[in-house]
Amino acid sequence: MRSTTRRIALAGFGAALLLPAGVGSAFAADGNANANLTPVALNGVEASGTAMVTVMGTTLTVTMAADRLLPDVPHAAHIHFGAEARNECPAATDDASGDGTLNTTEGGPAYGGIVVSLTKTGDTSPASALAVDRFDTAPGGRIAYQRGSIEVEPAVAQAIVDGKSVVVIHGVDHNDDGTYSGDVASDLEPSLPTEATDPALCGVLAAAPAGSVAAGAGGTAQSGAQGGTLLVGGGLLAAAVGVGAFAARRVRATV
Amino acid sequence: MTDHVRHDGRRLALLAAVAVVLAVAGAVIVALGLRPSAVGPAAAPARTVTEEVTGPPGQRELQAPAPTPAPTSASAAEAAAPAADLGPILPASEPVRLDIPSIDVHSDVLEPLAVGADGVLPAPADYALPGWYTGGPNPGQLGPAVIAGHVDGPSGPAVFYRLGELAVGAEVMVTRADGTVATFVIDAVERYAKADFPTARVYGNTTDRAELRLITCGGAFDAASGHYVDNIVAFAHLIA
Repeated sequence: MRSTTRRIALAGFGAALLLPAGVGSAFAADGNANANLTPVALNGVEASGTAMVTVMGTTLTVTMAADRLLPDVPHAAHIHFGAEARNECPAATDDASGDGTLNTTEGGPAYGGIVVSLTKTGDTSPASALAVDRFDTAPGGRIAYQRGSIEVEPAVAQAIVDGKSVVVIHGVDHNDDGTYSGDVASDLEPSLPTEATDPALCGVLAAAPAGSVAAGAGGTAQSGAQGGTLLVGGGLLAAAVGVGAFAARRVRATV
Repeated sequence: MTDHVRHDGRRLALLAAVAVVLAVAGAVIVALGLRPSAVGPAAAPARTVTEEVTGPPGQRELQAPAPTPAPTSASAAEAAAPAADLGPILPASEPVRLDIPSIDVHSDVLEPLAVGADGVLPAPADYALPGWYTGGPNPGQLGPAVIAGHVDGPSGPAVFYRLGELAVGAEVMVTRADGTVATFVIDAVERYAKADFPTARVYGNTTDRAELRLITCGGAFDAASGHYVDNIVAFAHLIA
């Protein structure tokens, strides 16, 4: 008996040792991250959105929805990450030029450089950061974007799984004239107005919560319902014994 | 005499049958009573963690993008990549009211929930209130919005006591601060051992639509730890 108990205990210990190893390897490069996209400080945007990234090894699937963007103009969208960046969205204090708006460069210390270009077709590398003819044009102000098979470097995949990357959708309308315009040239591409490349929406791709939720205190677990069930069952068993004993006595009496 | 014996035999057979029926019924009921998950809060069907790999209910396969050459003009890009169909999607707006008519849940307060340093989503502090996970999408936005609530408190049922009773097709209404009502329909109600909680299935990507998860506790109550051993999760998607 004692040796059986010990064997079971050892088996349990072995399983406990195996479990963390299995979990670790399964999650090393795979995961999900979600971003709530909110207006970038100072840039006069009232849009909102969310983005989801699924990481499998070094392959991403990105799904993104946003609305109330400046409609019918290309909105460059990227995943940003920088090992030296704060891994967050820029604040008003990032306005290094003091002009009252944030351009893409001024957001750099917060979200780092571009690591993925969220184009609708073709190349998705940083080289396509300003491929304006391949980004969503937000018809009606809405973006509904989904793309799979996006290949990234292992360090980028890891940064996303670790919740350190940031999604940014660009394209604002500082002067409220309904299109990209103005005298200030883009810090990224001088042939474009800064409105075309200034960040509009931003959100950190955060890792999902870990595991289960403790959502009960047990106030109904050991209550009358269970006691009552046991009582009824026990009563029936007692009745069975009684009837059986009576029958047996009848048998003895008859024979 | 022979009549009497035959009569006694019939009575004995009847008594024996009654004893057997009582014994079987009693044993079954005692067994049910001893099995902790059979009583207390409504129990959703258990689901093994291996099904995690199948993804959320209603998840559709992503279409692998065709390996087309990079388009040379904007019109070619538009033609090659129409906007994704993500179903109804609402703008950001915080939830202010939860109604689940079929299990009589009505709350005009939702407690904001943020993950702690341990990465775990806490349950609401108030047993009578549902809580919403502020790090996830607002209910109605693309992605997996999460609302959690206690199944019971120290002395009785709590806000999500009847969550396990939710039927597929039941409606869940979330009223938002902007006055819009996000209406979700239940796709599945599942129960998992907490040790096997399918994090990716519950909190991971919903692929291509706005969804909602309602989470509470279930299964047996472990008096030693003070926690239930299972979580019950209801999965829903936005219809309007």
